[in-house]
Order: sequence, then C-alpha cells, then structure tokens
Amino acid sequence: MATRADTRLPYGVGQAGARFFLLVAGLLVLVGLGAYAYTRQFVEGEAVTGLRDIGTMGGAPWGLYVAFVIYFVGVSFAGITVAALIRILNLEHLRPVSRMAEVLTVLALVLGAMSVIVDLGQPGRGIVNLLLYARPQSPFFGTFSLVISGYLVASMVYLYLESRKDAALCAREPGRLQWFHRLWAAGYKDTREQRERHLRASWWLSLFIIPLLVTAHSTLGFVFGLQISAFGWYGAFQPPEFLILAGVSGIGLLIVIAAAARQTLHLQEQIPKRVFTWLANFLWVLLVVYGYLMIVEVLTAIYQPHQNEEALIRTLVFGNYAWMYWLSVGLLIVPLVVLLVQSVMRRYSLPIIVASGVFVNVAAIIKRYLIVVPSQTHGRLLPYGPGAYSPTWVEYLIVLGIAAFGALAYVVFFKVFPITEVKESDGSQSLWKTSE
Amino acid sequence: MARWGMVIDLSRCYGCRACMMACKVENNTPGAHFWMYVFRLEEGEYPDTQVRFLPRPCMHCDNAPCVKVCPVGARYKRADGIVSTDWARCIGCRYCEVACPYGVNYFNWKSPKKNQYLDWDSPAAEALEPVTKGAVPPYQNPALGGQMKDGRKTAGGGQLKGVIEKCTFCVHRVEKGLQPACVANCPAFALHFGDLDDPASQLSRLLAANKSFRLEEAFNTRPRVYYLGAPPPSTEARQIQAVKARE
Repeated sequence: MATRADTRLPYGVGQAGARFFLLVAGLLVLVGLGAYAYTRQFVEGEAVTGLRDIGTMGGAPWGLYVAFVIYFVGVSFAGITVAALIRILNLEHLRPVSRMAEVLTVLALVLGAMSVIVDLGQPGRGIVNLLLYARPQSPFFGTFSLVISGYLVASMVYLYLESRKDAALCAREPGRLQWFHRLWAAGYKDTREQRERHLRASWWLSLFIIPLLVTAHSTLGFVFGLQISAFGWYGAFQPPEFLILAGVSGIGLLIVIAAAARQTLHLQEQIPKRVFTWLANFLWVLLVVYGYLMIVEVLTAIYQPHQNEEALIRTLVFGNYAWMYWLSVGLLIVPLVVLLVQSVMRRYSLPIIVASGVFVNVAAIIKRYLIVVPSQTHGRLLPYGPGAYSPTWVEYLIVLGIAAFGALAYVVFFKVFPITEVKESDGSQSLWKTSE
Repeated sequence: MARWGMVIDLSRCYGCRACMMACKVENNTPGAHFWMYVFRLEEGEYPDTQVRFLPRPCMHCDNAPCVKVCPVGARYKRADGIVSTDWARCIGCRYCEVACPYGVNYFNWKSPKKNQYLDWDSPAAEALEPVTKGAVPPYQNPALGGQMKDGRKTAGGGQLKGVIEKCTFCVHRVEKGLQPACVANCPAFALHFGDLDDPASQLSRLLAANKSFRLEEAFNTRPRVYYLGAPPPSTEARQIQAVKARE
C-alpha cells in the first residue's frame, strides 16, 4: 500500500503507519485462525462444534452461528437508517457518519451471509440449491432473498451513489490509488445535472429501502416467531423485537465506530459531538421501545404459561441461563437510564455514550444467543428431558474470524476511500493541503 | 392411491426396543441416531408409580412444520402420505429439526461412514470379508442407494455428511409392498402399518373399534401415527433409561 505518494488525500486515505499494519496483522491472524477452524469443520463435519440434535441427543442444532447471523444482520440496521434519516427527514447534521454507517451495513450483511454459510452442513449446495429450488413458504427464503440479496444490493448501490462525488474529488489527485477512485467515479464530474440526478436517485432509493429494511429484519424474526411448537419462539412480537434490537445494536456499534474513527483520524472537526448526542438520543428511544416490547412479551408469557413455557422461563430467569439473562437485562437498562439522564440534564459525555454503545452490543449478542438456544434445549414437547449446548473452540474461532474479517475489510476500505464526506466548500485542492 | 399411516397399540408395547434395533439394521442409521425411539416413562410418585412405553417414529404429519420451513424442498410430503427427505438436495440448515415438535430429525454431524458402529473402512471391517463372502462393508443394506419411485433419493440413513435424515416409514420397503422394519420386527404386534384411506384395512378397523390419540394434536400437525390402548402420557411423565448417546 502507498505510504508516501498519496499523503495529500484526506482523512488518512493512502497513508499507513506502523499502527495500521499492526492492526491489520492482528486481524489477519484472527482471520487465519477462523479459516483454520473452518477447514477443521469442513473436513470433519459439524461434529467438531458443540451442536447436536434435539431429542435423544439432548442438544441444540442451532447455536452460536445462528445467533451471530442475527447479530450481524442486526447491526446492518444502522447504515440505511441513518441514510434515510438524512435523506427523508433532512437530518443534515448526521451526514458526517453516513458513509461509516453505509459501509457498516454492507459489511455486516456480508458477515451475516458468511455466518449462514458456515452453519450449513452442505455449504456448496446452500448456494446452488437455494437458487434452483427456493421455496417462498420457508421463512428462510426471506432471509436469503430479502436480507442477503435485496437489502445488500440496495445498500451497495446506495453507498456507490453517495460516494461517487468524493471518488471524483479523490481521482483528481495523482497517486497509486488514482485508478481506483477513477473507476469508482466512473465519469462523475459533479455537474449540476449529475448532482440533481444523484440526489433524486438516492432519495427514492432511501425511500424504498426503508420498507425493505423493516421487512428484512422482520423476516429474521419470523424464522423463529412462526414455530408454533417452539416455546419461547412463537409469537407475533418476534419480528418487531428483532427490528428494534437490530436498531439498538446497529446504532450502538455506529457510535463506537464513529468515536474510534474520530479519535484515530483526528476528525474532531468533521464529526462534531452533536452527531453523538443525536445518536445517543435515538439509542435511548429505541431502548425504550425495546423495553416496552420485552415487558409486554414477558407479562404475556408468565401470566398463565403452558407447562413447557414455564419450564423454559424458569431456566432463563433462575436456571442455567440466568447469569446471561440478567447480564443482558442489566446491559440494556444501564445505558437506557444513563442516556436518558444525559438527555434530561442536557449534558452529554462522549465516553459514556461510547460505553453505552459497547454495552448494548454485548447485550444484543447475549440476547440473540438466548433467543436461539434455550428454546431448543429446554421446553421441548416430548419428555426427552432438558438438553445442553456449549460452543466449542471451533465455533468461537470461526465467529471471531468472521468478525475480524469484517473489521479488516472496514479499516482497509477506509484506507483507500475517505471515511466521511469531503467538504466541498473549501474546494477540494485546498482541503487536501489543510489536512496534510 | 394408498395413504400410509401407522397405529401403535400401547397396551401391547412392553418397551423391548426391538423396533429401534430393526430400524438401525434396516436403514443403516449412524451411531446415536434413533429414527424409531421408544420412551420408557415413569409416572406418579412412589409408591404409586407406573411405567409406560411410548414408541416414537416420525409422525409423517399431514400438516408438517418441517415441510413448511424447508428452504429448498428437500423435506417434502409424498402423495402417499410419507414425509420424505431428499438427502441429495438437503443443504443442511437444520430448520426442519428445530421446527419439528417431536424431535425426530437427526443430522449427520460427521461422516456417517465413520460414525457407523463398525467403521466400514477399518481393518476390523475388512477382516470380516471372508465371513460375509466379500460383502464389505458388512450389513450395508443395498436397497438404500438409488431413487425411489418419485425419482428422488430418500431411502435409508447414513448417506452423507452434513444432511438431515429421519424415519422414512421404510419407503424402500413400502414401495415393494413390504411393511416397515419396525412393524415387521415387533414381537408383540404393537405396531401396525397400512392404508388409512382404505376403510377395509386393518388400521381403519383398529381405529374404528378403539379410542385413539395422536401426539400433540393441539398444534394441528395432523400426524399419521395413531396411538391406542392407553391414554396419552401425562404431562408429569419422566423418562427413565433414556438413551444418552451423542454423536
């Protein structure tokens, strides 16, 4: 990668120091470990995971992988939501984080797809047979077609449209990355006609992506919510809960990423604190909605539960899963209270907002796990007795490898492309110079 | 066309699990896979306890949750009522398994060949060659490989790593006019197999003459397996002598 020639590009594009290479090396090691673990699984079969059959084996056939499918697809919420808020509600002050959010969406969806593939017993067939024999009756159809194809493609197109102008600006600068920026800009000259066409296209696209986003996240909820005999899964609240928790984790992660970028790339001017306070307020509103859905769901479940439902709830609240359950509840309540207090006092602390972002993401991961696993190990209908599931090192390494791949793609992308919109008011050339 | 079904007479079952064994031999199912499973259940508190038995094949539901959720149509309902799994199409997502209320699905977590009770590639298996007159692997049922009459590969177990398998009602035997292995081998004549649509069949006569129930009927899965001779197991039933094998 270029280190000298491209120093005049903004926001650290084309500049890579020792710290960056160290980060990349660390992430590559994690990706490598994940790849190694996956080869073990590919060769030996999923016997190397902690997954086993429901019933006489007393296991859970869905585990960590499925939990992370939901988590990854969940965080993709952030990008398009922010984009749509900017476009449709004219929230111009969110603009500095819009590209970060859009790239987060695209990558999170790719990671979600990867998690699906590693979960399949026949990954090759997964890709071919889904095209050949897809059945819309299966809730998975929505997951594959809407989430992983439609939503992903729409987000990529949106990202492309939104960033062509910056690509054109960057392409003016000679250097080793010029070909890339030229290719991306693809003839964009920022004429008035082009600008208006872009604006119109992205406005309509963001309008159409919103229903796609709601449907996509709901579809994942339907994967569980439609299973009448699975206690803890069945219910009409599953889709909206998936949607809102997706929002919580997505906005939370965006806060963390934006803060990290602001710190490391010295973007205090470009990303003002106002962005974070707005996102923090949005986050607590989402948390309130999620809390409401949760309380209604829990009250409905505990009032007069089916015998198996009761057994399941007992395990969650007092049994094997209790520590995870209460940890996730705490990690959601603390940010809610803190952010709410901040909002009321009108005094915002950036570290607290970032910590809240971390908390809600840990909570979201635990929540996803608790949605997927306990219903399989406990509360099944026939008298098989309770089951057990604990992930093995293979599963941990694969999930870690997938996440590291995402982080790697993210940081590398923003070494070749500006992380936030290049301010045009200064005139591109002069901006390059001031950021030197 | 016949619509196959099963009737299980609980008053005759004494929990010998011969059906489980017959199924394993017939279908070459890998270790820890029990397409037919017999619950040994205990009810009540000491000293008023009672032991009961409950055979559990696949219910071959008419409104099967597993068929609905399969994303590629590998799990499907045949015209003759059998719920089949096309192991040549299955992508191994295990959605059918989490959707099934009865826990009858088994996934090939590792290569089934390695997971047989006798590793078919091992020297021990090859040493059996003279005894089995060259048939290696021994005990491999030759009837399980090909396509069934509907043109799909649905018979037998232990076919492939990373796909789901379950009770087939011994589709390869039924298509030849034979009874499923569990039914044919039940020493107590507790299991009956036949055409539920034929009013003259033994099944229809048994169901007409006796009170029967199906498992978890409230979920509207409409199973094709009927139980008679005893009431459904109570919600307090505890499993004893469970098979604890894990792959």
